[in-house]
Amino acid sequence: MNEFSFLTDGVQYVAENPNVLVMWLIGGVLIWLAIKKNYEPALLLPMGFGAILVNLPLPGVIGDESSTGIVSWLFEVGIEASEAFPLLLFVGIGAMIDFGPLLSNPKMLLFGGAAQFGIFLTVTVAVLLGFPLVDAMSAGVIGAADGPTAIYVSRVLNSAYMGAIAVAAYSYMALVPIIQPFAIKLVTTKKERMIRMPYNPASVSRTTKILFPIIVTLIAGLISPQSAQLVGFLMFGNLIRECGRLESLSQTAQGPLANLITIFLGITIAFQMQADQFLNWGTLLVMALGLVAFIFDTIGGVLFAKLLNLFLPKDRKINPMVGGAGISAFPMSARVIQKMALKEDNQNHLLMHAVGANVAGQIGSVVAGGIILSFAQSLGMM
Amino acid sequence: MDLMTLTVLFRSVLGDVQSEDLWSSLELMGKGMIGIFVVMLLIALVILILNKTTKNKE
Repeated sequence: MNEFSFLTDGVQYVAENPNVLVMWLIGGVLIWLAIKKNYEPALLLPMGFGAILVNLPLPGVIGDESSTGIVSWLFEVGIEASEAFPLLLFVGIGAMIDFGPLLSNPKMLLFGGAAQFGIFLTVTVAVLLGFPLVDAMSAGVIGAADGPTAIYVSRVLNSAYMGAIAVAAYSYMALVPIIQPFAIKLVTTKKERMIRMPYNPASVSRTTKILFPIIVTLIAGLISPQSAQLVGFLMFGNLIRECGRLESLSQTAQGPLANLITIFLGITIAFQMQADQFLNWGTLLVMALGLVAFIFDTIGGVLFAKLLNLFLPKDRKINPMVGGAGISAFPMSARVIQKMALKEDNQNHLLMHAVGANVAGQIGSVVAGGIILSFAQSLGMM
Repeated sequence: MDLMTLTVLFRSVLGDVQSEDLWSSLELMGKGMIGIFVVMLLIALVILILNKTTKNKE
């Protein structure tokens, strides 16, 4: 019978490493969430399948002493060596974003800053839970509500929880329609949620749209050099979109490039979901911290709007819910705010204000990521 | 090394909480929020200037 042992080696491996069964289950849950619940399917499905794939008996897709598996190679080349995958994805995201609503109403940028509060609060909470500072900072970036930024920062900081951080970032982004209404209602009254905001957008010239990505890159790069890669690639994609001469490249960045990277990013991140690295209390706490980050991002934006209202005349008050849209989860957050506004008052249309705050959140999140990296560098962590 | 920076405040769920890490996280919160607002205000200012200077030309 020993001649046929090669047929049962795999089963024996599973018997000796029962943790892989848990990871298969987690992979199955992620696939179920992607297909059945439509929660960020483009990322959760590849990650779910990847979680199963990387927990098969070795060498499998991971490799061993004599060979390098395909997922290990993708991780080394696409993420470990240069963080290329999340950065290239930013080119696509930049090409998808129309900053027009923000350019016509630039005060919305403030909400894109205020709604990053959850990131920094979560870092402190994580430290209080006993995480080393480097992992605490990585977990905080889940609050960027921006998967590529979370992956990028946790990779640069070499966090042990990169897999959990990616899963948390994308899972909670899918749960924005549940998390944000809960958080907003915690800190607002019905009367505040009914504040109407007339929308009178200023016209935005083509020159402004073209200069905007260049100037943002210069400002972010000068103040927070560590954000240059994140902001630079995001704005590069946006410049391709707005220049008016590269329609084909813009369509390619928005479609095929973003899709290709998305396919491989999810399955590559799964490299960090090997049972021996993933199954620990830290992973569970990272998932919980992600929720804290999203809730306090929203609360930060809402409270900042309420603070501004103290100084604004009665007819120019800001609906505080718009502040909550300052997170990076675009366009979900803006849609949630619009839906909530219509629920309170079916004539209150906040969508364009919320979109402005939401795209400001895209900038805020990458700047926050860059600031965290700059801070880590100043502490000698990188 | 400064002995103050190695003070263990208490034992938490995952391990010891170092006072140095806690102060650093609070410093990050303060500097981070200020940093973001500075960047956002600068960008807002630039947009306002761009909107003013390019409006009449196009």
